[in-house]
Amino acid sequence: MTLKKTLLASVIGAAMTTAVLPSVASAETTLRMAYDADPVSLDIHEQLSGGILQLSHMTFDPLVRWTQDLSFEPRLATGWEQVDDTTMRMTLREGVEFHSGNPFTAKDVVWTVERLKRSPDFKALFEPVESVTAIDDTTIEITTREPYPLLLNLATYIFPMDSAFYSGTDADGDPKDEIVKNGNSFASAHLSGTGPFTVVEHQKGTRMEFERFDGYWDDESPGNVDHIVHTPISENATRVAALLSGDVDFIAPVPPNDLERVREDDDVQLVTMSGTRIIIFHMNQARVEAFQDPRVRQAFVYAINQEGIADRLMKGFATPAAQFSPKGYAGHVESLEPRYDLEKAKQLMEEAGYAEGFEISMMAPNNRYVNDAKIAQAVAAMLARINVTVDLKTLPKAQYWGEFDDRAADMMMIGWHADTEDSANFHEYLTACPDADSGAGQYNASNYCNPALDKLVAEANLEVDLEKRAEMLQQVEQTLHDEAAVVPLHWQDLAWASADNVMIEPILNVMNFPYLGDLVIKQE
Amino acid sequence: MTTPTPRVASRWSRFRGSYLLYSFKRDLVAQLSLVVFIALVAMAVLAPWLAPMDPYDLAQIDIMSSELPPFWVAGSDPTYLMGTDAQGRDLLSTILYGARVSLIIGFGAVALQALLGVSFGLLAGYLGGRMDAFLMRLADIQLSFSTLMVAIVVGAVVKAAFGGATFSAYAVPLLVLIIGLAEWPQYARTVRASVLAERSKEYVDAARVMGFTSRRIMFRHILPNTLSPIFVISTVQVANAIISEAALSFLGLGMPETHPSLGSLIKSGFDYLQSGSWWITLIPGLVLVVLVLVINLLGDWLRDVLNPRLYKG
Repeated sequence: MTLKKTLLASVIGAAMTTAVLPSVASAETTLRMAYDADPVSLDIHEQLSGGILQLSHMTFDPLVRWTQDLSFEPRLATGWEQVDDTTMRMTLREGVEFHSGNPFTAKDVVWTVERLKRSPDFKALFEPVESVTAIDDTTIEITTREPYPLLLNLATYIFPMDSAFYSGTDADGDPKDEIVKNGNSFASAHLSGTGPFTVVEHQKGTRMEFERFDGYWDDESPGNVDHIVHTPISENATRVAALLSGDVDFIAPVPPNDLERVREDDDVQLVTMSGTRIIIFHMNQARVEAFQDPRVRQAFVYAINQEGIADRLMKGFATPAAQFSPKGYAGHVESLEPRYDLEKAKQLMEEAGYAEGFEISMMAPNNRYVNDAKIAQAVAAMLARINVTVDLKTLPKAQYWGEFDDRAADMMMIGWHADTEDSANFHEYLTACPDADSGAGQYNASNYCNPALDKLVAEANLEVDLEKRAEMLQQVEQTLHDEAAVVPLHWQDLAWASADNVMIEPILNVMNFPYLGDLVIKQE
Repeated sequence: MTTPTPRVASRWSRFRGSYLLYSFKRDLVAQLSLVVFIALVAMAVLAPWLAPMDPYDLAQIDIMSSELPPFWVAGSDPTYLMGTDAQGRDLLSTILYGARVSLIIGFGAVALQALLGVSFGLLAGYLGGRMDAFLMRLADIQLSFSTLMVAIVVGAVVKAAFGGATFSAYAVPLLVLIIGLAEWPQYARTVRASVLAERSKEYVDAARVMGFTSRRIMFRHILPNTLSPIFVISTVQVANAIISEAALSFLGLGMPETHPSLGSLIKSGFDYLQSGSWWITLIPGLVLVVLVLVINLLGDWLRDVLNPRLYKG
């Protein structure tokens, strides 16, 4: 009987939420927001992911950050100059304080970069960096191994951490600066940055509370939010209903099938951008022998209808993809088109000797990317047509990334946004030969390895002639496409929605890192 | 001249003369419910022959025909009478197959509940003493776990031990087991109460004096006299089990999305309820409501008929 009531109540509840009138905001400078999930940890070096970077922008400050039109804006670094081909000198902001009260100095930047170079997820990004040295309290010099054209792009990922706060050992005797993936460490539960907000409370998966940091250095920031309550809501329909009923003021993402409804509502505003995040499926060659045959991988790519997914499941709110690099990136190859052709797929399977098909396991998150679980189901159905039986498991991202790191399934979904806004980043993380020492291929769940491509990308990273560099990166894309290293699906568009008085438009960007510190909530 | 030997009335004529049929003939609601119920069961049983496509065969699903509306809404495709879900499954076929799953789980779980509950109830009531105390405490403990908790635990253990594929393959028997295990105390308590009332009656004493074994007395003498409440509970429990299955599947703890039951179908359409494609949730939802409603109505009628206090009153 209780079950019956629960079911009934949830259905009635969902039906009612839209009928309830927007309630008056409880405190005028409180932002109640709902993403689909909360960050997996408070340690910003534990995982290279959108969720962690969003948290970084709320509680830390980068040296420089991207503006909406993709130029650089000084944050903790106030100026920078190239000393020689491999050295850049940066001047740091004075009078900045960490949440703990410690002063921010050049020493903290050095400490942070050293920790980044130890992080399994970030070290591949920081591979080109030879060393960082503190010249004095407010000046640092970054030296790269070779001339590196993307150093400022990289500086957007340096969020100086409070070195004094993270030094020493915790109650269990473990070092406080330890990086533990998917586990417990001091840094995963404690946080001290220079950012606009401090974390007051974090109940994993249910609620996260932030308070504005009194000693925040940026007096010019227009932001007037004092308090943030983040309640992750993974159910699409529930998240939208929560916004429309006035329970929350800001949501992301807005599911494609609700865009119209949100757009037509007078009390909320919708902001959309065409995105650069590629969604792909890895085919693990180490787990499945058949995937070592390029014909089988091609057959999979031919069997999957990217346009169908973009058109039907994403309601046109995504661009079907046949490569990693979106339009506008150096490596984008204009001629590559989605290859859906079922007959060809069956023929390739037959040639490879797998006409009878085989069985594979598949995993996908269910609260990370827009419609991720539904996409995985659709892909499973499409693969059934080439006689491939899929055992699909979808999980919340808090559990998913642990499974991903273990490479726990034969096909695994991942979305990737190029951290440096550059094509080489896709290859370095998703298709480079896996190497735990350099961090290359950290998210390469395909176990695809083509040393020639690794070499080409490494050379491209040193190439100063941008045209030549683009040519090399395009060659990489073409090879990955021909060898069907992974199954590219689409570039996911971005959508956020908020109550009318929450001015989200100026703080959003195509990286999906909302600068909530600068958020203005208009007072009635 | 031979006097005609008094013929023992056949079962059929006894049934025709029974109060059961008499009251059924006069109860329109019961008649309607039975007709609807039989129709639903027939459709579910004949699903493989009636359904236009096999919704469990992923190869028949085409993403390009997803979210088509049912036939009376503009933009529908005549191939899909009731429309399609977000993955392109024919909704009519999925409902037929889903109802089949719901009914199998409903009746299977109740059979298991009845088996456990009746045995334990008989033992506890007839033997009394320590056995009674032990079994009833066991029932109390069982009642303190909700079906949900049992489902989560069993589901987690099976998934961890044998993997998700095994769970999907054995989802139906597992759900029968979960719902059956979670709700047997309902039976046990009712049966025990009836047994306690029957135990002290003369016919039981007579049987005991004749030297029958306890087992024979329990099953051949007492059990038949406690059948009417069992029937009544069964109808309620079938409806409950179907709802439990739907709720578990709705929460993602039951049938996998690749083998949708009514509950998982309702869940899969939930995202679309307010954004246009209402039919994915509403149509299977209605089927579920109708199915549970007719079973409950039949149960109500049966309770009225079998209740001695209301007898011919």
